[in-house]
Amino acid sequence: MSIKGGGFEKSSKASSEIPSSSMADIAFLLLIFFMVTTVFQRDRDRPIEWAEAESAQKIDEKQKNILNIWMEREGGVYINDQPHTMEQATTVVAPLYAASERALVISVRGDREVPYRYMDQLQTALVNAGVVRVVFATQLEQSMQRERR
Amino acid sequence: MSVLGNKKSKASSEVPTSSMADIAFLLLIFFLVTTTFPKDKGLAIVLPEPGEEAQVSQKNILHLLIQSSGVVVVKRGESQQEQQMRPQEIEGLWRQEVTSNPNLIAAVKTDPDAPYKFMVDVLDALHSANAERISLQVLEN
Repeated sequence: MSIKGGGFEKSSKASSEIPSSSMADIAFLLLIFFMVTTVFQRDRDRPIEWAEAESAQKIDEKQKNILNIWMEREGGVYINDQPHTMEQATTVVAPLYAASERALVISVRGDREVPYRYMDQLQTALVNAGVVRVVFATQLEQSMQRERR
Repeated sequence: MSVLGNKKSKASSEVPTSSMADIAFLLLIFFLVTTTFPKDKGLAIVLPEPGEEAQVSQKNILHLLIQSSGVVVVKRGESQQEQQMRPQEIEGLWRQEVTSNPNLIAAVKTDPDAPYKFMVDVLDALHSANAERISLQVLEN
């Protein structure tokens, strides 16, 4: 009556190996999923010519804490892709700065030919908004180019 | 003599699928590692708090007056002596000046009509020379 081995010797029919034939499909699915969902967050580029600097450093702040202010050659100010006047800059930036718990970094993207008076007006507006950290966004200048100028 | 004709090819006509997973994962990991999100570069400055005005002794100020032509006029503190420079020469000048006076402040005063790039050139030179105390102003005539 007793069952040999207590009934445990009956081997399962399920294979102990992970089926590897569909592994390729899974991997390609993941690959395609990541390729499709990766978005390079970019603002609409404004037509400016960048200023160049040799000692430019990367902005050490999370992307969401960076506010781009574009400054066109004729003095047009664009904040978050919206055109604003210089007078509005303080009232636009101040609430954004408060909402970010004073962590906001302003990236000023000025055309290299914009007269400095507009830059000064913008700086005054930013000071009035209480902003402390400002970065003048530039392109990295190569030493060779500098020699030639 | 018909031995050669009877011999069948041993090469399989199917694509080997067992290594496909490895290839796919390799591609997946390669793209994950090499994907970089572009980061902006720039010259960082710290703006003063509103209403904050520091009184600085004139002898601790190095005036850098940027003309609309791009020429930089350098004035040291109280002396009326002026010196014309190119923006690229500021770096060496600052390194010299700051060794003799560690409390030196660079007052960059730009002509309102001067293009922004000249101010960036001077700021770049000051950053290259590790200057930290920089004040940006407008040149008033």
